[in-house]
Amino acid sequence: MGVSITGIGVVSAIGMSVEENLRSLRESKSGIGPLHYLQGTKASRAGEVKASNDDLRRALGVSTEYVSRTSLLGLQAAREAWGDNKRSGVIRTGLISATSVGGMDRSEVFYKDYLSQNKPDYQLLTTHDSGSTTERIARELGITGYINTLSTACSSGANAIMLGARLILQGTLDRVLVGGTDALSGFTIDGFRSLMIYDEQWCRPFDESRAGLNLGEGAGFLLLEGEKSLELTGNVPVCQVSGWANAADAYHQTASSPDGKGATLAIENAIRRAGIGLGDISYVNAHGTGTKNNDHSESVALKNVFGDHIPPFSSTKAFTGHTLAAAGAIEAVFSVLAIQQNLIYPNLNYQTPIAETGLAPVAQLNTAVPVNAVLSNSFGFGGNNSSLVFTRYE
Amino acid sequence: MDSLKEDLKKQIIEQLNLEDLTVADIADDALLFNDQGLGLDSIDALELIVLLEKYHGIQLVNPEEGKEAFKSVDTMAAYIRKRKAA
Amino acid sequence: MNKTALYITAASTVSHQPTFGNAGFSAALGPVGADHALISPDYKAYIEAGLLRRMSKILRMSVACSKECIAQAGIGQPDAIVVGTGLGCLQDTEKFLNTSLTVEGLLPPTSFIQSTHNTMAGQISLSIGNHGYNMTHTQNTLSFEHALLDASLLLHEGDRNVLVGAADEHIDILDDITGQLAFETGAALTSGASFFILSSENTAYTMAELADVHVVGGVAGIQEETDAFLGRNGLATKDVDLVLFAGNPVDGALKNVPYLALSGVYATASAFALHYAADLLQADRGVRNVLICNALRESNLGLTLLRTVEA
Repeated sequence: MGVSITGIGVVSAIGMSVEENLRSLRESKSGIGPLHYLQGTKASRAGEVKASNDDLRRALGVSTEYVSRTSLLGLQAAREAWGDNKRSGVIRTGLISATSVGGMDRSEVFYKDYLSQNKPDYQLLTTHDSGSTTERIARELGITGYINTLSTACSSGANAIMLGARLILQGTLDRVLVGGTDALSGFTIDGFRSLMIYDEQWCRPFDESRAGLNLGEGAGFLLLEGEKSLELTGNVPVCQVSGWANAADAYHQTASSPDGKGATLAIENAIRRAGIGLGDISYVNAHGTGTKNNDHSESVALKNVFGDHIPPFSSTKAFTGHTLAAAGAIEAVFSVLAIQQNLIYPNLNYQTPIAETGLAPVAQLNTAVPVNAVLSNSFGFGGNNSSLVFTRYE
Repeated sequence: MDSLKEDLKKQIIEQLNLEDLTVADIADDALLFNDQGLGLDSIDALELIVLLEKYHGIQLVNPEEGKEAFKSVDTMAAYIRKRKAA
Repeated sequence: MNKTALYITAASTVSHQPTFGNAGFSAALGPVGADHALISPDYKAYIEAGLLRRMSKILRMSVACSKECIAQAGIGQPDAIVVGTGLGCLQDTEKFLNTSLTVEGLLPPTSFIQSTHNTMAGQISLSIGNHGYNMTHTQNTLSFEHALLDASLLLHEGDRNVLVGAADEHIDILDDITGQLAFETGAALTSGASFFILSSENTAYTMAELADVHVVGGVAGIQEETDAFLGRNGLATKDVDLVLFAGNPVDGALKNVPYLALSGVYATASAFALHYAADLLQADRGVRNVLICNALRESNLGLTLLRTVEA
């Protein structure tokens, strides 16, 4: 049994709304480019959301300056997913967000002044902790009760969706807004540069010449509703989340295992949970970061699970950049759109298959096939592997 | 005694937090990335690249290039001398 | 959560008190003084040297407690690992932030890798070779209760043993920050990690029954929420033998003890309180139920109810 999705919202380098993101995906238009809003980093390019913090605060009606960009992006997407829904005394409503950096975009402003003893503003740190990022979004939306934040590096957003679905199926909640948000920061850009996996050129997922990722920022949110909530709200499901699984790779702190153990487990268990056959998966929205290690390990996992019958797959990271904790949620929104619109997105910047695995992702937009079930992968540091399965609402 | 190799051993112990080891514990030809040697991993390889730049002014941009250079203290010393002579 | 009963079958805590490997510690525990340092076990007995050399305080505490729990409960592998942390790996986060802002050349990556909140859960899975569900909750003062709730869901979904715990570490700048922001902490800021095996089966190792756990973010009335919570579990405040609280005591209970005075202050100190309660329930048969009322941050309420298990 799955859980219904009745609302979606997204903000990323390719648009401020679902509609704008969809248009860019259809037009194969990447949002990655030179940094404009975040100054002073060493990255030559990234997937920035095309709005300043002031723009976002104005548009969202947030008056305080003590708010992280992570919260603002999250609020933008959460508002869109929430839509015109009303608070209710009867429908137990929760909020689960995911973030990897929380308010680091503000904390690093503080810390720079702190190090140089240049009147550091300690108040900036009140937005540092990841939980406060979510509490800010909850306060703006008027949600109280179950408010939670997950942080499992690059799989966080997918895990928020999984936890939300489980809470509904167990009857703990009737309705839950789930998603993830992360803002670009000097901290993460320097971090991935220190790992020597930040590509100064365009990232090239699943290409033999791939040399690393481009970071991005943004947020994705989905409104999940159980049966009781659907009866009371009268909302019409746009899609279902029907499969989910998380598994630990337990191989290495950062590297994925060459045999794709954790990823294989996550994919297999998610599809089993969805109760559909391997052949029913119409499209795989891959994690596909563009690093040597991830794309190889993920390709091996796809082969482990699907053998010679790997469904059409692509990574949308070359559109948005790798948005860390938001990635699983943004790509969940893209997966819902793939089903709604019967779309298979192109894997931009791909030319040559990876020699060891020989897999070719979808390189051109495909609008000619029905898309009924999508597998979405999100794999993170610490060997944290998650897969979700979305299916058409019947 | 080769002072470059001795320095390298001290730097490796510090950079990689090998708190239980002393310079005397690391043989010149011990395999750094082998479990019979120091048992280092890919994170250590990145730390060694930082070490080369920090202490020896040598930039190694491609981690793959480090594989040969970082076999042992012997090969690291030889690599540093080659790069300095070039 | 009116479903099958859940049991705590192992518990381990590293703190500023003599808690580690010291069953029965609750009997003689005095307040934690500002001069009490963190009491660390011999980590080499628990953690492989190759992993230990990179580990910050929070990672060492977490992995040692986890291994100790698994040994205590006599299980091979837990089905899942669930961790709560309020502020995550502060030591490595501050270290990399400092490096990133001060070093001109190449940056050493280790502290960045270990700055993510899920480093504890990841390192535990790596240390014991666990391929199960692996989750990290970070909802400041409610991080542990959220982890506990997730572990409960897993057991209701069919898992048998879940390793669940919480950890937070103190770094020096926190004292400066709390002073500058004029936070009233009431006790010294400390580090701590507490881990448990939560099981669906009552075994010879069972310390206590976890009757219920409840979280409320943006809470309006703590007293009303507490009464309703107890009511759902067939209790009134006068039936509660002991309340361990952060925030305000619960009127009407037989006894109220402020647990932050014992643990010191950190975001997930309620995990310390849970271990204290489980330890006490084993040692003192006169205590039949314990409520942990966590309002360390007054807008957030965590309620955890423990019951004694009939022998």
